[in-house]
Order: sequence, then C-alpha cells, then structure tokens
Amino acid sequence: MPKNVSQPVVRAQDLLVGYGGAPVCAPVTFTLNLGKAVALVGANGSGKSTVLRAVIGLLDPSGGKLSVLGAEVDERDVAFRTAVASVLDDDAYFPALTVAEHLYLTARGHGMLGADELVSRLLEEFGLVEHARSLPVALSSGQRRRLLLAAGFARPRSLLVLDEPEQRLDRAMRDRLAQRLVDEKEAGGAVLLATHDPDLVLAVADRAVHVADDVTRVLPPGEAATLISRENP
Amino acid sequence: MTSDPVGERQDVPAVSPAEEGEVPDARAIRRFTAQAGNARGGASLGALLSDVYYAVITLAIGIGLALGAAQALRVALPDEPAVHAPRGLSLPTLVVVLVVGLAGILVSLAGRLGPVGAGGAEASWWLSLPVDRRGLLRPAARRLPVVAALVGAVLVALLDAGLLSDAAGHVARVAVTAALAAAALVLLAAVLQSRGVRRSTTALVGDLLLAAAPVAAVVLALGDWSVRSVPTLPWVGAAGAALVVAALAVLVDRRLGRIPERSLRESGSVATQAVGAAVSLDSRELGRALTDGAAAPARRRTSRLRTARGAASALVTADLVVLRRSVRHVVQILVAALVPVLVTSVPQLASPFGVLLSVLVAGYVAMSATGEGARRAQMAPVLDRLLPLGLKSVRRLRMVVPGAAMLLWSLVAFAAVGRWTGGVAGWLALGVASTPVWAAAAVRSSYRPAPDWSGPLVSTPMGALPTGVGSVLARGPDVVVLGLLPVWVAILLRTVTPTLVTVQVLCAVVAVAVASSTATGTLLERMTATQEELEKQRREATR
Repeated sequence: MPKNVSQPVVRAQDLLVGYGGAPVCAPVTFTLNLGKAVALVGANGSGKSTVLRAVIGLLDPSGGKLSVLGAEVDERDVAFRTAVASVLDDDAYFPALTVAEHLYLTARGHGMLGADELVSRLLEEFGLVEHARSLPVALSSGQRRRLLLAAGFARPRSLLVLDEPEQRLDRAMRDRLAQRLVDEKEAGGAVLLATHDPDLVLAVADRAVHVADDVTRVLPPGEAATLISRENP
Repeated sequence: MTSDPVGERQDVPAVSPAEEGEVPDARAIRRFTAQAGNARGGASLGALLSDVYYAVITLAIGIGLALGAAQALRVALPDEPAVHAPRGLSLPTLVVVLVVGLAGILVSLAGRLGPVGAGGAEASWWLSLPVDRRGLLRPAARRLPVVAALVGAVLVALLDAGLLSDAAGHVARVAVTAALAAAALVLLAAVLQSRGVRRSTTALVGDLLLAAAPVAAVVLALGDWSVRSVPTLPWVGAAGAALVVAALAVLVDRRLGRIPERSLRESGSVATQAVGAAVSLDSRELGRALTDGAAAPARRRTSRLRTARGAASALVTADLVVLRRSVRHVVQILVAALVPVLVTSVPQLASPFGVLLSVLVAGYVAMSATGEGARRAQMAPVLDRLLPLGLKSVRRLRMVVPGAAMLLWSLVAFAAVGRWTGGVAGWLALGVASTPVWAAAAVRSSYRPAPDWSGPLVSTPMGALPTGVGSVLARGPDVVVLGLLPVWVAILLRTVTPTLVTVQVLCAVVAVAVASSTATGTLLERMTATQEELEKQRREATR
C-alpha cells in the first residue's frame, strides 16, 4: 500500500485544460482518494478526455493546480509510470506480437514475477483465450479494445485512468468490466474514468464530475447517470 | 506547468496483480519485441544479408550515376566570364545559398519529425513501462542524425562536384564537412526537443532559414557581392567538428529520458505517416503529414467569409483562407519565385536549358503549394458537395486561388527571364497566358486518385510496379509538361512572339478543360472503356 493513504491520489483545483492556450472546458475541481472512483461525464467534446490527458501527463494544464500521488504530474518520472496505468483509445499494436505477447510485454516490462499465470487469468477474464495466439490484425475492434483493457490490469498501479472503457464492448463485457473496477477499488486502487455509460457510473463511481463549457459540477452518481441518460436519450 | 511541487511521489503501487520482481532493462524490452517480429517476419540472417547487399549496391550505383551526372554538368558549364556581370551572382555564392537552403530544409524536417519520436505501438506499449526510456529511444535518436549526415554529404558533394570542383580531395572534404554539419543540426534540434521547445518552433526556424536563403542571394546580387569559393573545413577542423558532434550526441543521449511523452508521440505519429506516404509515393499525404502533424496547437480566429456573396465566391474565399493560413505554402511560393531570378543571375547557369529547367521546377514547386483547398476536398469529397455547384464548376472555381497565386509567381519569374533576354513586356504576357496552365495542374494533381497498388506488376527501371501507378502519379505534371510547350520553345529560342503567346492561350484553355474533367481514369483507360461499351452495344444490336 502507499506510504500515505490519507493524501489524495489526484487533486485538481480549478484545473484548466486546452490547446494553444484556449481552454476546452470550465475549470475542473475534484479530489480522488485511494479505494475510490470518480467518473467524468459530459457531452461529446466537452473536455473529459483532455482532463484525463492532463492527469496522465500527456498535456500541460493551462491553469490551476494538479497533483497526482502527492507530486506534480511528470510522466518522465519512473515512479509516476509505475503508479499510473492508463487505457486511452490508442489503437496501435506491434503487428508481429500476438495478443498474449502484448500482455507479457506489459507484465514482464513491469517486473511481474507470476507473468504466466497473470496473463492466462487476464486472457480468460477478458474473453481473449481463443485469440491468445492471434496477431492484432486478426482481431475485431472490440477484441482489440479488450486487449487494451486487459493490459491495464497486467501491471501494478495505484491509479487506473480509463477513457470511455465501455466503447466497443458488449453488455456482458461491460458488466464484467464494472465488477473488475469495483474489485479494483476494494483492492485499494483509485479509478478515474471518462464515460457515457450511466450503468458504469452507477456501478463504479463514488462521485461524478460533470465537465462542461460553462461550469463543472461534482454530482452524486445517481444524478450523473440521469444526466447522461438525458444527454444521450 | 502550474501545479505546486507538493512533495515526493508515493512510489509503492496500491494494487499489484502478481508479485513484483526486478524491472528488465530497456534493451531486453527491445530484444523481446524484435525477436517476436523477426520470428514471424521470416527475417533470417540470409535475408538480412541479402537486403543489406541490395541496399549497398543500389546506393553505390545511385551515387555513381549522380557523380557521373555531376561531372558531366561541370564539364558542360561555360567558363566564368572574364568580365564580371553587373548585378550577377558567382557560382560559389549560389552554392553557398543552396547549402543554407538545404540546412533550412533539414532543420524544418528535424522539427517536424521530432527529431526523436516513438510512433504507434512503441508509444502505446513501451513508453508506459517503468524502464529507462533512453534505452528504448536510442535507436530512434540515432536514425535521423545518421540519415541527415549521409544525405547532407551526398547532396553537398554533388553540388561541389557538379558545379565547382574537380579535385576528389576537395569534394571529399566538402562531403565530410556537410555530413558533420547536418548531423550537428539534427542533434541540436534534439537538444531543443528535450528542453521542451515546441517542434513547430524548430520547424519555423528551418522555414525562415530556407526563405532567407534566396532573399539573401538576391540582396547579394543587387549589392554585387559574391564569394569566390565555398568555405570548407580543413581536415584538422573536421576532426574538431567531429568531436563537437560526438559531444552533442552524448548530450542528446543523456537527455533522451527528459523528452516528454507528448512530444515523442506527436513526432512518432508524424514520422509514421510521412514514411507511409513516401513509400506509397503519395506526395499529398506526405505534405499533410509534415504540415498538419507539426502545426502548433492553436485556435484560429473564425473567418466569417465576409467577401462571399454566393456559392462560387464562398468556395474561392474558403480556398484563399486555407492558403493564407498555411505559412509553409506561402513561403514555398515566395522561395520558388526567386529561383529563376537566381538562375538568370549566375552567368554559368543562365543557359536556355538552365533557365527552362529553373522555370519548370520552381513553377512546379510553387504550384504544388497552391492547391491545398482542392487537396483537402479530394480527401473529404463531401466538401465539394456542400454547395449547390456542379462538380465541374467546383473544379473550375478551385483553380481561381492557384491561378491568382501563380500569376504573382509568373510575374516575378518571367520578369527575370525577360531581364535575361533583354525584353520584359513580351515575357510578362507569356507568363500571364501560362498562369491558367499552372492552376489547372494544381487542381488536376490535387484531385488525382490514390494509386492502386493491387494491380498486376510490370517491370520498370525502379523495380516492379503495378500498372497504372505511373499514369496516376503523372496527373498534374502531364499538364505542366504539355500545356507549357510554348514556354519551352520561347525560352529555348530566347524570344517571345505574338504567335507563341496565342498558342499559349489556347494551351491554357485546353489545360483548364482537362483539369475540369471529373473522370478519374486515364485517357487510355477511358478509350478502352468506350471501345468495350461500343462492342457491347454492337453485340446486343446483332442479337
């Protein structure tokens, strides 16, 4: 467990994010502690993914304050990369590596000793056993998405950042993912996700942040789920 | 970064899916990835040696041919005139200007391509690992300086051997100097990248250097100032420069881990797209990769297209906005306009053939910078269907902005040609008459379909190529070559006649008609299709 569990994993105070100095949404304020999950909700293009990119260090904030695991964000720091796992919508794979080998690369690259058992478990959990020896080119977009998600769980982490993890997943896999994220919280990890899925918010999130142009608000999960359903009837 | 430094990061992960051991080093990660790739790609030692053999042989033949051509060029060049021409430029000065321009291109490319990057799978699967990134990035960091050194050495050696020197020792020394300078420039760009300097800033410096080169040459010519020889380093100096390059390489290596992932991803993405475009001979895609991929993330002021008074003017205004916002293309047009001015200012190059070549090549370079609106419409055909205009009308309207830009280019270029022959007015008339041909070529090349690489292969001097690829790539250049025949004749004869101007006007009309056509097939393909259709009708009538 981390040395200091009382300190928030993510602390965003009036965080402004954007491109070329122009913010894409209103300032965002929230904290995320270990064992908790925060969902970013909002319309398409509202800035949810941009906030996530700032949290994982792929974008410098335009203003406000942001700290991750008690220090300022710097993905060049090995400790940061060890602690923060992210699953974005990167659809890029080594063409000559099989599904299983991609997971081995992640697990062994992070120094996991039980990599064989771990990879087998993840293949089973994410419905990829039959495709373990397949090259990425032979996978459907949903299977590639599951591979990305599995890789997020093949490594150590304190914070798991997911950008619309429900995309390209069927209902059963969405439910399984929700349970996986609940387990993640119970194991002591923190989860920050951007989503359009009200069921995922209800099942996983302890709080939601509604990201918008004018003002961002912290909402209880129920209210956020209702808002999503209203925005995406 | 506006966040407070609030302390040390908690470095023990809260969740671990298995017992944690030692993290492997970067080399092991690279080896694991490469071994799997080699095993599945069938890359045996024999195949590797065979590839290296063919690469070396091809390179050697290519360099040999180029050196031979350079030597023939030097022999063909007339001697330097005994009396110095007023407002002329010496050949060594022109070579220095070209080298500065090449340095600008190199810096611009280094900025656009990173120079250090991690594309696609490497960015997604390697950069998140807790290993020393220097080991992961080292091969990528070496690639561009080495390529720049090789290309710089060959190009500058060819310039020296072709235009100035017949002493092998001098050419070798120039090549070594160029290689070291090219490597140093790319390594400096890498240092800037590791210090967080935006890639777009580095690219802009290169663009400005490229733009400054011909301007400086014109200023030098007007001021009647020339250098007598190209400055080179003595061997001792080259050794010193090599030490500097080595020190820069060490500095870059030490700072590789400081390059932000954002920058690595952006560079890698541009490089991947650019290499893909180059391999598939798609110059439009290459331009998009190098322009869009390296653009600074800035929001533009919304253009309200106030001059638009209808569908036609809206289309033209939109094309104008696209051109105005692309600094690289505007610089490209300006630089290209100065090339004929320079060539006609250097007595040894100002032969009819040299001037014709400079007009055609510089015109093509300028023309290719003017069709951005059409290129984007080719990529997203819906753009052409947004307005209530027929497709042929759209194509004709898309020639307006290229035509206006090329008119300005023509006035400068043909004025220089006129000054070279001694009478400007007729040449300006010919330049104006030829402008629609350039506009037609810009639109025709912008709308050309993507090459079909799945066709049956035919043997060509460049290796086996699918049939039809050549004709697709020729769409655009064909209009330039054929539509400007009166210009060819006029320059080779060093005279303009009213008849030539009239024929040029007729050629322009034909070129515009050809470029307005929305048929994608080649002339041969269309003739074959027509013939097949007639055969079919005849068979049906007989039945």
